[in-house]
Amino acid sequence: MDSPWDENPENSTHNDIEWSRISSEFTNVGYREGITAGKEAASQEGFDAGFANVGVPIGRELGLLRGTSSVVLAFLKSSADIDEKAQMLTEAQEISSQLSRVRFSDIMPRDIEAEEHAREHLEAEGIELDMNEVIADKREVEGLEDMLANLSAYNGKSKEKHARPTIDDVQCLKDRLRLLTNRLDLGIAWS
Amino acid sequence: MDTDFDLESLVNVEQTFYDEGYQNGFSHGRIHGLIEGRALGREKGFEMWEELGFYEGFAKTWMAVLVKQGKSDERASQHIRYLLDTISHFPRVNPSASEPASEELDIPKLLRQIRSRYKVLCSSLGVRPRLQSAEVAAMEDKEEDDTRMEEDEVRTPTRGTLGSAIPVWKIDKNGMKKPVTNQDLSF
Repeated sequence: MDSPWDENPENSTHNDIEWSRISSEFTNVGYREGITAGKEAASQEGFDAGFANVGVPIGRELGLLRGTSSVVLAFLKSSADIDEKAQMLTEAQEISSQLSRVRFSDIMPRDIEAEEHAREHLEAEGIELDMNEVIADKREVEGLEDMLANLSAYNGKSKEKHARPTIDDVQCLKDRLRLLTNRLDLGIAWS
Repeated sequence: MDTDFDLESLVNVEQTFYDEGYQNGFSHGRIHGLIEGRALGREKGFEMWEELGFYEGFAKTWMAVLVKQGKSDERASQHIRYLLDTISHFPRVNPSASEPASEELDIPKLLRQIRSRYKVLCSSLGVRPRLQSAEVAAMEDKEEDDTRMEEDEVRTPTRGTLGSAIPVWKIDKNGMKKPVTNQDLSF
């Protein structure tokens, strides 16, 4: 026959091994280069989606609340003749300081797809996925802040442990702030 | 002839294996790119719009205060309108996604304008501006650098029609091979 292999049947196992070695080698090289290319091709799309769908609306909402509460507080401080001023001033200070504690990581929605993919990797390879460096640094600093806050709370003999605020807390602060601006007759168009 | 044929088919087979691996790798890489990009975009969008939202809430509430006090025709209210108008022009989606490259949108300039209008408003109201975080201050330094770079670039003739095509929050393609940092996202 035409093929030289047919004359040496004992070589066929060796040939099979060689064959699968070559095939997996090329497949692996292709896979590696494909990963890099796929990552590059999709990261901007992911960035834009996270930016517009999650970061911007949540940031704007919290910013609006903080900006509003800071003015309400300043207004109450500077106004002399308001009924129940002291009580409202306390409320405004409380809202303001609680709003200032809120972090993005407290109120951002979970990224289910990312969590699922990380779980798949963990199950398949037993390794956890690396977080982006900048974000990981930020979370680490936040963790340290929490530790210090709890430490000083204990030193001050306060039994209260500083729990992180939640999205419900923010909604509650928003309602309280709205109530306050209504009482002060500040007609603010809430978005 | 037979030898020629065999070699060629072997090359094709290698290519087929490579392509198959590449396709699988590409779809896996895409998932990672989307996840990582999303995480960064969330942080950046939050950071920018928390600041802009603050200015917006600040301006709107002061407007309400001025109206209540019957001072709505004062100069401060003009500053408020300027500030709110500039903020309303600030994009809420990353322009690199929604706008063609020819769009005349200078984000760093717009942001600087908003910050300075906020400060002007504060001084006309006689209140102290919000303290800037170190991060924002660092960002401003970086922006100044960027501005200088842009000015340099404008002077080079090769820029030509690409002059307005400054990528906004564009993830640097080369940068993606390294761990992504905020340095890769230009303002």
